[in-house]
Amino acid sequence: MNDEARTAMKKRVQRLVYMAAGGKIQETELGRWDTDLRTIGLDSLGYLNLLEGLERTFGVAIDLDQEEDHSFLHTIDNIVRYIDQKGAAA
Amino acid sequence: MSGATLQNAIRAEMAASLDRHAERTAVVGGGEVFTYAELGRRIREAAELLRSALPAGGHLGFCLANRAELVILYFGALEAGCLPLLLDASFNTCEIAAIRGDCALDALVVEKAKAEALDIPGKGEPLPFAEGVVVLPLARDTEPPFTPRPDTEVCRFTSGTTGRPKCLEFSGHAVVSAARNWVLGTSMSADDRTLCLAALSNGLAFNTSLLSTFLAGGALHFLKGQPLTRPVARRVEEDGITRLVAFPTLYRNFIAPGGPDRSALASLRYAISAGAPLWADVRDEFRTRYGLDISDYYGIAETGPCTFERHAGYHSGLGEPLPGAEIRIVPGEEDAPGAGEVLVRTASMASGYLNHPGLFEQRVDAEGFYHSGDRGRLTDGRLHLVGRTTDHINVAGRKIDPTEIVDLVSALAGVEDAVAFPDEDLNREALVHLAVVAPGGAVTRADLAEACRARLAPWKVPGRISFVPEIPRNGIGKPRIAWLREQLHEQGSLQQKGPQE
Repeated sequence: MNDEARTAMKKRVQRLVYMAAGGKIQETELGRWDTDLRTIGLDSLGYLNLLEGLERTFGVAIDLDQEEDHSFLHTIDNIVRYIDQKGAAA
Repeated sequence: MSGATLQNAIRAEMAASLDRHAERTAVVGGGEVFTYAELGRRIREAAELLRSALPAGGHLGFCLANRAELVILYFGALEAGCLPLLLDASFNTCEIAAIRGDCALDALVVEKAKAEALDIPGKGEPLPFAEGVVVLPLARDTEPPFTPRPDTEVCRFTSGTTGRPKCLEFSGHAVVSAARNWVLGTSMSADDRTLCLAALSNGLAFNTSLLSTFLAGGALHFLKGQPLTRPVARRVEEDGITRLVAFPTLYRNFIAPGGPDRSALASLRYAISAGAPLWADVRDEFRTRYGLDISDYYGIAETGPCTFERHAGYHSGLGEPLPGAEIRIVPGEEDAPGAGEVLVRTASMASGYLNHPGLFEQRVDAEGFYHSGDRGRLTDGRLHLVGRTTDHINVAGRKIDPTEIVDLVSALAGVEDAVAFPDEDLNREALVHLAVVAPGGAVTRADLAEACRARLAPWKVPGRISFVPEIPRNGIGKPRIAWLREQLHEQGSLQQKGPQE
């Protein structure tokens, strides 16, 4: 994935995080893609919505029980890296 | 400690089911399938372990997400004559420590990683039970402050205030009555396969899925992983699930674009929703897409199951009273005609709060009806809720006392005034909205969120925090919540669009 495609994917993920949180996270708080989403208020319900959104948008099946380390969901950067590694549909 | 010799009603019912349905499937989860005979064997093994690890009649807390081992150890505790206390798996260290003290826990069933991270006094050496699950002994350092009633067989918790969850005591008769009446009222049978996505510590799951499934001779299925629509639909389709016990958010996700096909849920007879009000448009769209009505269920932690809609064709309300449940509507001065406070009397009532003596009794009238705090009306025999009589905030079925949040925040340096009130996010999910007066920018949103996360259970942490110049109050000093909420929504309307792709 080139830089342009990566940036576009980050913006899509950023939008998904915002929607998943139901607007509880402010737009300005999502400005940095290395921000730990847990520290800005993405709760368990938000993560549930985010996982649904990621599955439907990128076609990736995310089974948290199969992943020992869940840090791939902690930041937008990490999420994009994970999706890229999974070879998801753009 | 509770009287071990009196703890037998649930155990007796379960023992009879284990014998009666020995060859049938009882529990499916985590890649394992247990017949009733195998479940019985595992329960007896668990009981042996607990007898060796706990004193007679010991108090065993459970702080564990749904899995087969929770069922095995729960019935193993009853078999061993222990008192099981079902904690919310998301309770934090402060709340677990408070329960340990109030309820004199002798041990805690918990995930190994959480046991290692728990910083509470009296921790002993964890006893491995199954992969990732341990029984964590807890030494008592003082005399138990409260004594359970002699006929108490199970305790569950409500969220409580000031970090002290309220411990509800249930007699064996109450638990068995709840299960029997659910089986009777919903025509549950041995052919039913229930996929339970709600935590078994919650009244919804406890009463609709645990003992009731086994009394009927059915099978209880657990989902490994997150309750996302695709894996849920896969489990329903592959296991021929007949009852889905879930919550409104899952049903909303089902009907979102790209949701599972109609054929995936073809085996379902009941889709049960509880914990929070179900959105009418979600109910309608789910019926259109999957050809099945979502059955709303109304239950109260203190009373057990109250209503259920059994009849196709009723598309509003929370159904009729279940067998053993009676409902009265007591109108107040400000209620519309026909509406009033919902009073409930059931055969599955709690006996009281172990750690708040007298509080439960204050909410029960002379005829045994419990004042629910909900306002509603009965139309055509169906219960419809219209509001609350208290300030408590309902987030996903958990009642939150706003004063707990306000007291915490008001104690922070730089905070002059604060109020917490119910609100909704953009997905229409209920949340706690905290409005704070903190002049000069001495306190940031991050400071407030961090303070709340450090001291409160996750569901009590405000989902939205707003800074205001003052809290509007009426003549007697009561916050004008409706006006404030409206003002804040108007101010925030420009932010609702969020970042664009």
